[in-house]
Amino acid sequence: MKRAIPAVVGAATALALVLAGCGGEDEPADPNAPVTITLAGWSLSTTPEFKTLADGFHAAHPNVTVELKEYDATNYDTQMTADLAAGTAPDVYVLKNLKNFYTYQSGGQLLDVSDTAGGLASVPSLGAYQVDGKTYAVPYRQDSWVLYYNKELFAKAKVAPPDGSWTWDDYAAAAKALTTGIKAAGGKATGAYQHVFQSTVQGFALAQTPGADLLSGDFSYLKPYYQRSLDLQAAGAQPTFGTANTNKLTYQAQFGKQQSAMLLMGSWYIATLLKQRVSGDADTFDWGIAPAPQFDKSTTGTSATPVTFGDPTGLGINPKAGKAEQAAAKAFLGYVAGEEAGKALAGIGITPALVTDAVSQTLFGLDGVPQDDLSKFAYAKHDTKVENPVSKHTAGLQNLLNETHSAILSGSTGLDPAIDEAQNRAKNEVLNQ
Amino acid sequence: MATLSRPRPRRSLVWRNTVAGWSFILPNFAGFAALTLVPVVALFYLAFTNWNVFGVAEWTGTANFRRMWNDASFWTALKNTVYYTVFHIPLTMAAALGLALLLNRKLRGVAFFRTVAFFPYITSIVAIAVVWNQLFSPEYGPVNAFLRWVGIDNPPGWTTSADWSMPAVILVGTWRYMGYYMLLFLAGLQTIPAQLYEAAQIDGATPWQRFVNVTLPGLRHTTFFVTVMLTIESFKVFDLILVMTQGGPGQSTLVLSQYVYQKGFVENQFGYASAVSIVLFAICFGVTLVQFLVNRRVER
Repeated sequence: MKRAIPAVVGAATALALVLAGCGGEDEPADPNAPVTITLAGWSLSTTPEFKTLADGFHAAHPNVTVELKEYDATNYDTQMTADLAAGTAPDVYVLKNLKNFYTYQSGGQLLDVSDTAGGLASVPSLGAYQVDGKTYAVPYRQDSWVLYYNKELFAKAKVAPPDGSWTWDDYAAAAKALTTGIKAAGGKATGAYQHVFQSTVQGFALAQTPGADLLSGDFSYLKPYYQRSLDLQAAGAQPTFGTANTNKLTYQAQFGKQQSAMLLMGSWYIATLLKQRVSGDADTFDWGIAPAPQFDKSTTGTSATPVTFGDPTGLGINPKAGKAEQAAAKAFLGYVAGEEAGKALAGIGITPALVTDAVSQTLFGLDGVPQDDLSKFAYAKHDTKVENPVSKHTAGLQNLLNETHSAILSGSTGLDPAIDEAQNRAKNEVLNQ
Repeated sequence: MATLSRPRPRRSLVWRNTVAGWSFILPNFAGFAALTLVPVVALFYLAFTNWNVFGVAEWTGTANFRRMWNDASFWTALKNTVYYTVFHIPLTMAAALGLALLLNRKLRGVAFFRTVAFFPYITSIVAIAVVWNQLFSPEYGPVNAFLRWVGIDNPPGWTTSADWSMPAVILVGTWRYMGYYMLLFLAGLQTIPAQLYEAAQIDGATPWQRFVNVTLPGLRHTTFFVTVMLTIESFKVFDLILVMTQGGPGQSTLVLSQYVYQKGFVENQFGYASAVSIVLFAICFGVTLVQFLVNRRVER
């Protein structure tokens, strides 16, 4: 104990010195001098987006080389946190989700990029990265949740496919009708599949319910959404939470192998499904996407804007990067949120931060993407709310709500007591910190 | 003067031996110091701070411990840890000892059965979790299919039920570790002299009397070692729970070490996580100390 304090103080001082030592260099500003910046990424062999961005930027700015540094996909945030604390992180790094944005930003690990962001006003999810009027990161992709459906199973069950007018009650009715219809036609598929993620219930409830606020600690908005899930489980219209969990069901196999006719999932699944159709991991069937079911009729129909959710994926700059690297990195951030990068990303099936007509055309030009108008509408038009509002309490609240999620859907705790308990815990364990 | 010069060669010999000894353990000790000792010592400082990895830890005195006192999740985790420990230790000991007695005889193929019993211990924990989860699957799993077949209409939901998830984890924990402790008991059994059994038999002792009065006292050192190891292993149970239930459903299998992980590496509250792990350390230390004291008293 006596020795620990000087050791820790020593380490902290060393860290402070390293922090102070960087960024003080005065380099001549030559915009055309060759610069190399490093960019974090994960699973590079199966995740082509980082290379697409790096190559695209290098083509437009030949003096800047973007080098990729690979991280582990599942432990990305832990590894990045360690690298940032140790001062060995790359110049530009990915904010994989919004949950950890607060940690990086409040920890002083993100450079203020408001000057770059000023030129990107049309990018819808930019606001997610603003704190006290300053912008700390720029989104390059913005996934949002949509309804994937198997047109062939709908036809087999003789159920009318989605037309953009669905509320959640319509969705639940269709799921049940599909299950019965498919069974009558001799099939085994269920009407819907709800993956075990807490987002599949809580994301929609938070985004769509008027007045819902995660940080208020009042979670009553979750109730109707859970009621519907429990009801669909009990009716056999979707595999139960217990089965999905114990048998480690994957949504890719569930929808791709036609085990379920409908799947609510983020738009990232488009690229996966296209790839799996080629590799044989998914069947080749007629599919489409539709807007997510809505809270009420006011946001349904193709003349309205459907409400859904999804967190942006962004890039931020390490404040310890050198002056020249920072300037190049800012130019890179300006590029990734723009239309050129957007088209390049859409070319590999990814939904960029800014979806323009040109981006939509690129994506729907890909082989295997459905061509109906509803799919195009669902892809391009939606009001996407964030799943994780930026706050120091977000991580704690989401973790306790994840426990609530498993307690309710496993049938271990009744809906009302589970929500009451979550509210009490939020008040006594998270919001008071 | 002559008396003073005498110890010199001995002292240099001692010095040389010490240096040689240290140099032998240095590679191991350097790794231990850098990767375990320093972090553990730092833990005792961090527990009194508020630190989110970046920047300097802010000294907050006993705030983390006061927060813990009022933290219902911490108490739930502690309760679950004790629940696991209280059932896991006796069950594993009984199973391990039973297996050891069964396999401590001249039997055709005994090596094979010993290997079978030891297998769960060397199997990857992730594979164990995946397979057991499928076995426990409430609707389609073989465990419940069997229970229904023997006439239980409403079999438990196992890992998907808050009431049964802990028993399920304890079962798998016992199954996994019994082979390892069986080996320790087997080694202990071989050290009991055969003459003692012969003498007892001549005196007319029944098998049960031989077990109670010869085997158990003969195994006392092994039993003590096994108890200490099992206690520590039970209190710090983590991987099995993380891969099998992730602490769920709800908080029904949330244990202390997982709570530490959640607060530290998921929510970036390293100060609070350190404080919780100190409590876990204190519990392990306290229980082990009591076991040592009891053992010493019995030895006298």
